[in-house]
Amino acid sequence: MPPLHLVWRNLTKRKARFLLTAGSLAIAIFLLCLLRSLVVALDAGVKAAAADRLIVQSKVSLFVYLPQSYGPKIASVEGVERVMRWNWFGGYYQDPSNFFAQFACDQDELQAIYPEIQLVDGEWDDFLRDRKACIVGEATASKYGFKVGDSVPIIGALFPKTDGTTWDFRVAGIYKSIKKNVDDATLFFHYKYLENALDSGEGSGPAGVGIFVVKMAPGSDRTEVMSRIDALFEQGPQVVQTTTEAEFQAQFVSMIGNVPLFVSSIGGGVMVAILLAALNTMLMAAREQTRDIGVLKALGFGDGVVAGVLLWQSLALCACGGGAGILLAAATEDPVAKMLGTVFPGYEVTSATLWAAAGATLFVGLVAGVGPALRARGLSVIDALRRTG
Amino acid sequence: MAALIQLRGLVKGYTRGGETLRVLDKLDLDLEAGGFYALMGPSGSGKTTLLNLVGGLDRPDGGSIVVDGEDIAAMSGPELAEWRAEKVGFVFQGFNLIPVLTAQENVELPLLLTRLSRAQRKEHAKSALELVGLGDRRSHRPSQLSGGQEQRVAIARALVSDPMLVLADEPTGDLDRKSADDVLALLRLLNEKYGKTILMVTHDHAAAQQARTIVHLDKGGRLGRIEVVR
Repeated sequence: MPPLHLVWRNLTKRKARFLLTAGSLAIAIFLLCLLRSLVVALDAGVKAAAADRLIVQSKVSLFVYLPQSYGPKIASVEGVERVMRWNWFGGYYQDPSNFFAQFACDQDELQAIYPEIQLVDGEWDDFLRDRKACIVGEATASKYGFKVGDSVPIIGALFPKTDGTTWDFRVAGIYKSIKKNVDDATLFFHYKYLENALDSGEGSGPAGVGIFVVKMAPGSDRTEVMSRIDALFEQGPQVVQTTTEAEFQAQFVSMIGNVPLFVSSIGGGVMVAILLAALNTMLMAAREQTRDIGVLKALGFGDGVVAGVLLWQSLALCACGGGAGILLAAATEDPVAKMLGTVFPGYEVTSATLWAAAGATLFVGLVAGVGPALRARGLSVIDALRRTG
Repeated sequence: MAALIQLRGLVKGYTRGGETLRVLDKLDLDLEAGGFYALMGPSGSGKTTLLNLVGGLDRPDGGSIVVDGEDIAAMSGPELAEWRAEKVGFVFQGFNLIPVLTAQENVELPLLLTRLSRAQRKEHAKSALELVGLGDRRSHRPSQLSGGQEQRVAIARALVSDPMLVLADEPTGDLDRKSADDVLALLRLLNEKYGKTILMVTHDHAAAQQARTIVHLDKGGRLGRIEVVR
């Protein structure tokens, strides 16, 4: 074991360099945690998807609407217990920057098909009774200050009102999801409200159903149910594709590009950058300490101990910087989650992410330190003492 | 009296730019325990090379170096490091203190290789610094000391583990006369009072006169005359 007080003094000898390198490590490790947490948030919906739910969509594209008549037909398929229409509304609250998801859905089916949606304020019955009622996720409610009884005017971008006014919803409940496949940022409202407005000409927009959400009967074979639904509409007018909820979530994530690959690429770049920063610092430190290395060897310290002085410096440097980054990531979890809010719901810095960051820190420490350490180990006493600075 | 250090047929050369330069050429020399030897000679006579070989910092190309009955030329690297820690104290021309450590911590360094407790190490280092007259400078860093004080700290470091042999390479080379005299007085004290065998490389005739014996090396690493001073 090298003299640890010597390790620490050498490390902090040039305070500005130490602070700058440790600071850059802290920021880089924080960024790694942030990026990984975003990927985890994206994957959370896929992982938490219900096994007994299926999604029926157009085989052509998610943006091609299905005929209303498909609903009863799907409901008649053996193994199907419940069917719910589900349309992306695509509106915004007051300003386009106030983005959160709104879905029109069959209100009577929502609670039965999505038992993970649980009201923390308000009443289901109140939601079901009033056609203009909606329920809002607590993240969105908290962000915009919505309370039960409030009126929420939404400007329809995909479904504009023909007279240019807003769609007015009354908050009947605030919900929280107990599983990550449903976020806490969405506004759900009555499908009938949208349907009637389109039928009466009060609103305009694409006719038809975005997707059908199917809840399977207990004990039914998923593959068979999916095949039966697909076979039902093989001859059109719209060919459908039935997928599991997990596949649908994964497809939805992939629509915004290969995010995990993109984020991993950025993470890889960050890793290389911090590795170079740490390596540069350690190479400078090793050069400056060459004579000290010679002195230690002359005094009788073994090659391994002398190499350890540099390796431990590298590990200590990375532990300081990486540790600060990890602490920062853990400490800012709530503020960052609030900031990302409805854009990236489900942001969470998991313990797996923190361990991965610790592993990355250790890796950088070892790689940055091993070169200078090996050089110190192989240096002869005479050569080391001959160095002047 | 049996020689503490026996050099037989010692050969050492360096290759520079494809040319081999022989620095020591079949050198035979006996140095007795308790002696204070000054090594003198012109540049290129192999004084520092000889000191490094005797101290186990470098390895000979041929011949043997027997110190206190052990052939250190035959030792492995780790064995040699252990031997240095136990038997030799070094004093360098450039002091070679670790700049980030205090005087006390510099002196304690060799004791980290012993089984002494932390408290014992501190006590030993404190005593060594008091011996060299720097008891009140223990918490000073090398940059806060004068050259003479730095060299005295280096001497304290060399003697703290109670080695039988102290090797000094131009210990007064970077010092003014007054500081040089203080350092030489200390070396004499180590030799006369504490019985340490001292081998000192120097160009300085006045410094050499403090030794008991002056060993002259000729150009090419051959043994010249041996002069008994005191």
